Amino acid sequence: MMDAGRHPNIELLTYSEVEEVSGYIGKFQVKVRKKARHVNAELCTECGLCQEKCPQKTIPSEFDQGMGKRSAIYVPFPQAIPRVPVIDTERCTYFLTQKCRVCEKLCPAGAIDFEQEDETLELEVGAVIVATGFAQFRAEELPQYNRSLSPDIIDGLQFERLSSTTGPTEGEILTSEGVPPKRVAIIHCVGARDEHSNVYCSRVCCMYALKHAHLVRDKTDAEVYEFYMDIRASGKGYEEFYTRVQEEDVYFVRGRAAEVTVLEDGQLMVLAEDTILGKPVSAKVDMVVLGSAMVPQGDSGQVASTFGIGRSEDGFFLEAHPKLRPVETNTDGVFLAGACQSPRDVPDTVAHADAAAGRCLSLLSRGEVTISPTVAVVDERLCSACRVCIDLCPYTAISFISQDGSGTARINEALCKGCGTCVAACPAAAIKARHFTDGQIYAEIVGLLHGSEHEVAEVTG
Amino acid sequence: MSEETPRIGVYVCDCGINIGAVVDVPAVVSFASGLPAVAVAREYKYVCSEPGQEMIRKDIKESGINRVVVASCTPRMHEPTFQNAVAEAGLNPYCLQMTNIREHASWISQDDKAATEKAKRLVRAAVARVALHEPLESRTEKVTPAAMVVGGGIAGIQAALTTADGGYKVYLVEREPTIGGHMAQLDKTFPTLDCST
Repeated sequence: MMDAGRHPNIELLTYSEVEEVSGYIGKFQVKVRKKARHVNAELCTECGLCQEKCPQKTIPSEFDQGMGKRSAIYVPFPQAIPRVPVIDTERCTYFLTQKCRVCEKLCPAGAIDFEQEDETLELEVGAVIVATGFAQFRAEELPQYNRSLSPDIIDGLQFERLSSTTGPTEGEILTSEGVPPKRVAIIHCVGARDEHSNVYCSRVCCMYALKHAHLVRDKTDAEVYEFYMDIRASGKGYEEFYTRVQEEDVYFVRGRAAEVTVLEDGQLMVLAEDTILGKPVSAKVDMVVLGSAMVPQGDSGQVASTFGIGRSEDGFFLEAHPKLRPVETNTDGVFLAGACQSPRDVPDTVAHADAAAGRCLSLLSRGEVTISPTVAVVDERLCSACRVCIDLCPYTAISFISQDGSGTARINEALCKGCGTCVAACPAAAIKARHFTDGQIYAEIVGLLHGSEHEVAEVTG
Repeated sequence: MSEETPRIGVYVCDCGINIGAVVDVPAVVSFASGLPAVAVAREYKYVCSEPGQEMIRKDIKESGINRVVVASCTPRMHEPTFQNAVAEAGLNPYCLQMTNIREHASWISQDDKAATEKAKRLVRAAVARVALHEPLESRTEKVTPAAMVVGGGIAGIQAALTTADGGYKVYLVEREPTIGGHMAQLDKTFPTLDCST
C-alpha cells in the first residue's frame, strides 16, 4: 500500500470515480470525478486533530464492518493512504444543521473547506485495468442463519476486524458482552454451493474459515466447531495449513449447518446433520462466524457498461477466454485484475493482477496498435444523411459530419469492429463492410447451395 | 491485384484422423481441382504444421498462387497462422479464406458420404468467395504511454505497481477515501499468517 502511495509513476486518485470512458485501445479518454473531501489535501498536515475533536463520534465505521465507531470527519483506518480526512456530509452536523464548524476552528493548517466542490478530470490513457473487487455475500439473505437476531452471529469480514489489532477490540476476540467466547461455531459455504444463493464455490472461504479457527484457538480457550461440506484446500501450503488446524483440536463436523437459533438465554444453537455419523447434531455456542462467499460488487452491471465489458452468469466480469486470455476482455485494451473476474484469494489475486499488468505493459511498450482493416466504410456520395446508422452502432463508432447544411456519416475505423449492423441497416446502401461485401457473401452462398434443391441464382454486385 | 486473374490454391487438411477418418479427403481434393480458377489442390496430414505451411508458401512463390483456401479446422484457431504464412510468401493476408470441414463436417457426422459431400460444398463456397477477395492493409495507431487502474484493493495496487515499475504513468482510481480495499480489513492472511497491510 505504501509503495503505491509513494511510487513516482503512480498518481493516486482516491475518493474518485470513473464517470465516462470513450476512445479505443491505445487512446482512451476517461472522465474521473474527484469527490469533494471538504479538506484541502495540499494544506492538511494529517495531524488528526479534526477527527479527535469532531463531536459526532458514534457513526458505525464501515471499515470495522459496523462494529467500531468513527467521527463525521474521519480517516477510515490508521494506515490509510492518503491520511487526508474526509467529511461525511450525510452525518456532519454542519452539513445537516449549518452549525458546528468545530473542525474548521481547530484545524491548525486551515485545511477545512466546507465549500469544496467535486472536480472532473479528463485523462487520456492507452490501457485500462479494471480491478474493482468483490462484495461479501449478505448472510441476511439466508433466513435460516437468523443473522439479525444476535450481534454474536457475525460474518467473515467482521471476524477479521474483531481479530485485528486496529479493530474495535484491538485484536481480542470477544462476544458482544465483552468476554471471550467459550465455544465458537464456524459455518462454511454461506452463500456458496447453494442453489438458493450462489451455485459456485467461492474458493476462499474454506481457507479463511480454517484461519479463523486457528486464530480463535490461538487467542482464546474456546472450543471451535467447523461445519463444512468439503474442505477445499488446493493451494501451495494450504493442505498443510489444514492439517495444522486439525492438530489444534478443532472439531470438524461434516455437514452444512441447517439453522442457527437464538436461545432464551441469548446463547446460540447450531443445528446440522453430521453426514459421517449420519445423525443430526447440535452445538450450543457463544459466537457463530458465517463463512460468507465472495459475490460481485452491487454496481458491477453499471461498471461493466461504463467499460464495455461483459459479465458471466454469476455476475463477475467476463474474461475474453477462460484459458488463453484470462485477463483480457472483449474490449481491446481493457484488462481485468483480481476478484472482479472471479472469487480469488490473495496469492491468486496478486498473480492475476501481475498478469493483467503484463498484458498492459506489452501493449504500452509496443507503442502502437494494429487496427484491422475489416471495418465498415461509408461511400459519402451515396450517404443520404439520414443518421439511422449512428444510433444502431453498438460501438459508437459512427459520427455525423456536417457539411454546408447537409452532411455525411463517418466511421471511426479504430472503434469499428466490422459487425455489419450499419451495413444491413443503411437504406441508401452507402455502407460497405470490407472483407464482407455483398458480392463475397453471395458468392459463398451460391457455392454452398450449387446443385442442391435450394440452389440460388448467381447474384452480381 | 484485384484486376489480376485469380489462381487459387486449395489445401485440404486430414487433421490426423480428425477429418481424414470421416471425410474422403482425396475425393475433396480431386473435386476442388475441377473448380473454376483453382490452379492447385493438395492434401496434407497437418496443414498447420511447418511443412504444411511451407507447402503453401512454395506454391505462392513458384506457381504464382494468388488466392489460398485452407479447408481444415475453425478459423478461430488457425486463421492468424495461415494469414502469417501467406504473408511470409508475399501474399496479402486477406487473400486467404479458411473453411471449417472439421467442426462443420467430420466431427458432426458418422455418415462418411454426407460429411464428404458437405466438405465439398464448403470448399466450393470458399473458392467462390476467395476469388472476390481484395487485398486489405492494416493501419497502426500510436499508444498513449499511460494506464489507468480502476480500484485500489490488492489487485489494483499490484497491477499499478507492476505497470508503474515498467516506467509508465499510472492513474490509480479508488472510490473510497483510501486505497487498501478489503485487503486492509484482513487480520492475517493464510496460509503463512502474515499481515495484510
